[in-house]
Amino acid sequence: MTDLSDFDAPKRPWLGLLIPALVVLAFAGFYWFISSNGGSPYLDSPSIQTTDGTTRQGLVKGQTYYLFASEIELYPTNLENDPWDGGENGPDIRYRILWQGNKVFESEEKDDALIADWSGLSLDLEWGDLMGKTISPDEAIKAARIRYEKGGVVEIVVEDDDLTDDDDAGRAEIELDDLMIGKNEIKLKKTSINAVRRINLRALPHGSALKDLVELMK
Amino acid sequence: MSGPRILILASCGFLGIGLLAPTLTIEPRAGQFTWLVELWDEEATKPVTYSIFGAIRDLYLMNNFFLALVLGLFSILFPIFKLSLYWLVTDRHPNSGSVRSLLKWTDRLSKFSMVEVLFLALLILTVKTLPGGSEAKIEWGAYAFVTSAIGAMLVPLLAERPKK
Repeated sequence: MTDLSDFDAPKRPWLGLLIPALVVLAFAGFYWFISSNGGSPYLDSPSIQTTDGTTRQGLVKGQTYYLFASEIELYPTNLENDPWDGGENGPDIRYRILWQGNKVFESEEKDDALIADWSGLSLDLEWGDLMGKTISPDEAIKAARIRYEKGGVVEIVVEDDDLTDDDDAGRAEIELDDLMIGKNEIKLKKTSINAVRRINLRALPHGSALKDLVELMK
Repeated sequence: MSGPRILILASCGFLGIGLLAPTLTIEPRAGQFTWLVELWDEEATKPVTYSIFGAIRDLYLMNNFFLALVLGLFSILFPIFKLSLYWLVTDRHPNSGSVRSLLKWTDRLSKFSMVEVLFLALLILTVKTLPGGSEAKIEWGAYAFVTSAIGAMLVPLLAERPKK
């Protein structure tokens, strides 16, 4: 009967146009509120996922482990409380691992550093290898191989490598019972026979896949 | 409140959440040498999660204005505009003159009804074809976004047709 016209429409149609936009904003805001915890308003802009969710484990009796120092820090003065290398240069740090009375590993030397680090991985790759060489952990890992037995110990001997003669920087006897898989931080006091402040020792299970080892080295 | 309007509001909700929620996680890989790359640059191989809004923001910050504009247009502005138009259509009496004009617009828009989802799929496909085994994982935000697009697509079907 009656033909409806545009008079039936709301007087300000653009207001209706805003409602969906406002609802979108409201939900976005609500999501931001519950997930931000007071953080950045740019939710999920590139965010880095933490991979440090692994449970730390002790060593297993009878199993073989890779052992290496990922970082060694020395005190600023040597055993005689003099600056290293007469104060001209920093110490050239190198360490050895002794197990059952034998030297089972010797690291590369790190020049002029009070804090030296080693990755535990080293590869001599040639260009041809990039075409598909298969790398085994044994080839790549530069670390001592030790077997864990209850009450076992390893000794870390740290030296300042000099042209004339090598100076002892200190040594630490470490009980294997105290070690955990992954990073172990050992802090040492300055004494007349020790100038090593800290050793980060990594214990990695022998026979693990390279991927797992890399995770443990982080 | 009518069924289509509830659907529009639900679509708006999903859209709002879908824009900010994690949409895509990229796990960069370098084939057999991934572990080696991890040692050189630990950050380079860590998984990175993007939301649609975060991706647009990053494209803009990286001076990729064109991509930021296209992505922003088709994943934020276009869906909101589409839903707004649907809201306006369902606000009018079916026989009113302006509804006919709006319906023309919605008919045109319906041709692009899944264009935002297509963009998302294209992005995932691009990452999946990267060398070195890089992986792209779809996160729940993508499903919220797609749900919003599907909801918007269903609105014209539910909406009342004008009587002839």
